[in-house]
Amino acid sequence: MAKRVAMIAVAQNAGTESKDNFYDQAYRVTKEVLDKAGMTRDDIQTIVSASSDVFHGGISCANSYYWETTGAFLKNASRQDGESLFALFYGAMRIMTGHYDTALVISLCKGSENPPLDTCTLMYSDPFYFRNVGLTETLAAALQMRLYMEKYRISEEQCAKVAVKNLRNALGNPYAHKKGRFTVEDVINSERIADPLTEMQCAPKSEGMVATILVSEEKAKKYTNKPVWIKGFGSSIDSYGIGDRELLNGQLRQAAKRAYKMAGIKNPLEDIDMAEVTEPYAFQELLWCEDLGFCRKGQGGKMIDSGMTEKNGEMPVNPSGGVLANNPYVSRGLQRAVEAFLQIRGEAGERQVEKKVKTALAHGVHGFAGQCHAVAILGR
Amino acid sequence: MGRPVAIIGVGQTYHGRRMDVSYPELVREAVMAVFKDTGLTPDDIDGVVSGTMPSMMEGIALTHFYFADAMQAVGKPIMKTETCGSTGVSIAQTAYYWVSSGAADLVLAVGHEKMNEGNSQATMTTVAEPFYQRYFISGAPGVFSMQSQMWTARYGIPEEKTRDAAAFISVTHHDDAFDNPYAHIKLKVSMEDVKNSRIITYPVRLLDVCPNSDGACAVIFASEKMVKKLKKKPAWVRGVGYRGEEYFFGDSDKVVWEAAIQAAQQAYDQAGIRNPRKELDVAEVYNPFTFQEMLFYECFGFCELGESPDLVLKGTFTRKGELPCDPSGGTLCTNPIGATGLIRVAEAALQVTGKAGAHQIPGAKLALAHAMGGVDQFNGIMILGSEL
Amino acid sequence: MTKEFRTVKTEIRLPYELAYGETWTRFFDGMQEKKIYGNTCPKCNRVLVPARAFCPRCFVDMDKWVEVSQEGTLIAWSYTNYKYYGMPTEPPFIGALIRLDGTDVNFLHLLGGIDLSNFEEVRKIVKNGMKLKAVWSDDRKAHIMDIKYFKPV
Repeated sequence: MAKRVAMIAVAQNAGTESKDNFYDQAYRVTKEVLDKAGMTRDDIQTIVSASSDVFHGGISCANSYYWETTGAFLKNASRQDGESLFALFYGAMRIMTGHYDTALVISLCKGSENPPLDTCTLMYSDPFYFRNVGLTETLAAALQMRLYMEKYRISEEQCAKVAVKNLRNALGNPYAHKKGRFTVEDVINSERIADPLTEMQCAPKSEGMVATILVSEEKAKKYTNKPVWIKGFGSSIDSYGIGDRELLNGQLRQAAKRAYKMAGIKNPLEDIDMAEVTEPYAFQELLWCEDLGFCRKGQGGKMIDSGMTEKNGEMPVNPSGGVLANNPYVSRGLQRAVEAFLQIRGEAGERQVEKKVKTALAHGVHGFAGQCHAVAILGR
Repeated sequence: MGRPVAIIGVGQTYHGRRMDVSYPELVREAVMAVFKDTGLTPDDIDGVVSGTMPSMMEGIALTHFYFADAMQAVGKPIMKTETCGSTGVSIAQTAYYWVSSGAADLVLAVGHEKMNEGNSQATMTTVAEPFYQRYFISGAPGVFSMQSQMWTARYGIPEEKTRDAAAFISVTHHDDAFDNPYAHIKLKVSMEDVKNSRIITYPVRLLDVCPNSDGACAVIFASEKMVKKLKKKPAWVRGVGYRGEEYFFGDSDKVVWEAAIQAAQQAYDQAGIRNPRKELDVAEVYNPFTFQEMLFYECFGFCELGESPDLVLKGTFTRKGELPCDPSGGTLCTNPIGATGLIRVAEAALQVTGKAGAHQIPGAKLALAHAMGGVDQFNGIMILGSEL
Repeated sequence: MTKEFRTVKTEIRLPYELAYGETWTRFFDGMQEKKIYGNTCPKCNRVLVPARAFCPRCFVDMDKWVEVSQEGTLIAWSYTNYKYYGMPTEPPFIGALIRLDGTDVNFLHLLGGIDLSNFEEVRKIVKNGMKLKAVWSDDRKAHIMDIKYFKPV
């Protein structure tokens, strides 16, 4: 890798509905991350934002409206559509070239002002076929869950346990939108919205402006004595046609392989200390953990039963409460990286895991049944 | 700075009203063309960058999903870059940074739009939020006609002269498009035709305005190692610049337009260009409106501020002039927006590699490609050269 | 390109409810009372209208609120007489950039109060640099169209 890139500060806002307008809210988070880094707008050389038109209050060309809120007036900036980990990767690449020493990466999504999530994800579908059938991320996930349960004999209870764990973890996260102590029965008996998925196994629609500042290795010392390095990243996209794909054998393995190779990770279970994964549907945390190499194929149910992914388990997964607790759609991937950053720095407050975190994984996903995955490895 | 990067191949669709193909098929046409041009296969590609205008344009969101197969991107890392009208140049810049960073050796960049399937002006009105600006921004033409008025008023340029110069640009670009097999509008027009065409938003008339096109463009960016290994004639990326300014249209000066001036300056500094009119051999300026093209000439330092109509009428920027601009016919004749900026880059690459065919500028070695976006808000520049 | 195949006609309608937030709520409350508010950047001292939470250039919170003049100078205008689907304002209309007296940016609104039916007649009346004055609607809803248009003084 040409140049090492460090994250030096992070900021986010709460997932609950705020009284701010979008424009001012974005400014406040930008300002907060600059303040935390001890920087002003003048210190930032380039900006990469993430947003998506359908998740943007009905205002298109998303970055047109918020450009100056991210400090980008007369700066070289760009934008990634849909998944905010892409923006993190792009910000890092810009620094790796040597053109820039500092970059601000920000993801913007004000869920409270958007139509229902499935109204938006229906727009991923083509107008001829899938749209008329009503294909949304929820329907795709329900199909995927059914396959997963039947093929590997994963029980409804095992899937529900993910929601129980994550909503409980969220009690320690002041930014979380949903939180609480629930039982497996509560989860299974919640409204059955797309069988076998119940309401509590689906992520809410949250607000989330999430920001971080990246600096080159040369400049890292100037700003912090606790840099968190971006050690590896990778992504991969699957075929569009949901009927053309193996829904239990998607592209996450590819994305993870790329990130692991770049970061020099050989045995993920040993080399990685904790993970924040994007699980908009509870069972997906189990499936994704298999693909990330935390357990063998089909063993996701046993993994959750063992307690391994609990906050103080061998491999804590989503101690923040994950996406089931907080789902600012576009921002959720970068939010995972921000949570991983806080764990590595030991600054995660009540949601800090007991074990020492040297290396952490952040995962983002979007598209029908996980069509596109992104993985980042962060470390001390 | 960074690892050197070159364009080693380009592919375009036949732009126009393409109701003979579905949107994914259109994308595939451009991607197949770049593989044919380079002799490469999808297996060779390390990553794909895709981008388009907002979802409202064709009514499909996050199109990298829909086009994953058409772009031959399945199983590959992907990026999705969108910056409104400047998307095409921003896609090219993402591909450039990706290769330059060392994270990839061969990156496929794909821009696409199928404007005849949606309603472009209705889409562009949603760029403005519903609090302040949505009621007054009459699509793109309203913004640009205000800009051109401010420009002529600032320098006291006589109305007749700007009208003539704009008509001259329309006539020459429409002529140029006949030599570009991929151009959309192929129409013989006279100065009188332009000046008598229907008013869209005064002073902008129908023949001062680009069409709504369907089209896609695909470009492969390569590291120096791959350029040597594949023995392809490279168009080296010599400079990349980008700037944006405030969302509120009334906040910044659109005549001495800093977003355009500074974007060009950033790219010139990297390329070591001091006198662009002398040093550049050709420019592909993003010109959806004839009047605006002249403003870009000034902001990019091709001439003094307020001087462009005189030089236009002298023929300085025609194919036989001192600095040929848009020999492809430009955006004025072809505008599938999400692809348009990337088409500018592709055309610049064709020129410096001597592959532009009938509209080749003889001996072109250094070229500028440009795109503009937002409510007169963003400008992106890429400089390509035959030498590193 | 000659042969055309089948097409499907479809339409998307999406519902939104957007927050004005503190600063813009105050601005629009002012509109309802026939007042136009700007505010001042403590660093560059520019008066921005509409009022903002922050200065885009200095990136600091805006400071003093000022009620700005309802008169200003025409900077640029666009006579718009074409129609497209979903157009929020009925043509013909004149979109105008107006520099309200005592402010440092241009305010985008409509120019009206004159006969818009004949473009050549409009052109004789409307000139950059002319003075304009806000005309208020009687039915104000804390909305940007509480000002009907700006008319020549």
